[in-house]
Amino acid sequence: MSSHTNHNVDIHDEVNYDPTVWVPKAHSHGTKDIWVKFWILLGLTILDIILYFFMPPSFARNIIFIALGIVKAIYIVGTFMHMKHEKLGFATMIVLPMFFIIFFIAWMLYEGNFWGTI
Amino acid sequence: MSTQSISTNSIWGGGSSPFKISYGKLMMWIFLLSDAFTFSSLLIGYGALRFSFPATENAPKIEVFENVQEMYAPKGEAIDHHVDYFIPAMRDMKVFTETQWPSPDLVFNHFPFLHGIHLPLFFVSLMTLILIFSSVTMVLAVEAGQRMSKSEVNKWLFWTILGGIAFLSCQAWEWTQFITAGATPWSNPFGPPTFAALFFLVTGFHGFHVFSGVVLNVVAYVNSLRGTYEERGHYEMIEKVGLYWHFVDLVWVFVFTFFYLI
Repeated sequence: MSSHTNHNVDIHDEVNYDPTVWVPKAHSHGTKDIWVKFWILLGLTILDIILYFFMPPSFARNIIFIALGIVKAIYIVGTFMHMKHEKLGFATMIVLPMFFIIFFIAWMLYEGNFWGTI
Repeated sequence: MSTQSISTNSIWGGGSSPFKISYGKLMMWIFLLSDAFTFSSLLIGYGALRFSFPATENAPKIEVFENVQEMYAPKGEAIDHHVDYFIPAMRDMKVFTETQWPSPDLVFNHFPFLHGIHLPLFFVSLMTLILIFSSVTMVLAVEAGQRMSKSEVNKWLFWTILGGIAFLSCQAWEWTQFITAGATPWSNPFGPPTFAALFFLVTGFHGFHVFSGVVLNVVAYVNSLRGTYEERGHYEMIEKVGLYWHFVDLVWVFVFTFFYLI
């Protein structure tokens, strides 16, 4: 691992751009947002557990669990993984393919119901 | 003969980063997207196979335990899932059969030191909380790195590594419970072998990711202690390792949902 940075090169310089060392200048967004999202994630997980014990199993309950999972995913990717501070084009590039997966999940669950009857 | 010249004046011309993101971080994101496809395929396979089996219908949750207690357990002895009579009793009662998908709360209902008590979902909820908390300590390390605060990065990375080790230990305990009950990747006393095979495959694959994440965190921690990132002028390696760690947490959210809640 090279720890010997060439101090003559400005690693943040966008004009003399060197992709091997270039990094954008980091700036903190503070810790308040992180803790807010932590309490939300904790609350949603506790809501999961409450629903598990107090709502009888049903198709609707499964949909609620998956929806809560997606909400948790949005907070983890958006805040913890800093996606909401990235450029829109980049966020789209990463997040959009995952939307197609949702269709595939629904499709295969539907298919699975028939395999048992063959 | 025409020579094509590449203009580097435009933002997409190759002379700058259009996404204002470094090469390493971009590649980490692309790797995570491909890894998300892998996990999606595992979970989709799980969902399709699971719903190709009928669910356990004749198992009213807690009542089953009371019945077994009365019918099969020696007098005055607490019901124990993992010795002699629980699994044969459930098989007798046609709750555990080769053709019915077992209800996860009859399989994963143990808690350390609370032997023989029916506690579905409690242990795996604890594991979920450990992983969410270690995700928070990781993002606090990233935030400290953005302020170039070496001591805070070290402190939060240490807690993250500890959380990762705690999660892996919990998973080892969970696997031990399942294996001592007689489950292997090709046989399962609780129901169809597919259930055990998918459990070992998916939680094993996730657990291996957690293990890799802990190794990466330790490498970053040692580098941070030695001042490597301070000398480099930025703590972006912590962000990249952090992205991987949050991804592991993200996958667990869905493993928790699909394997234990549904």
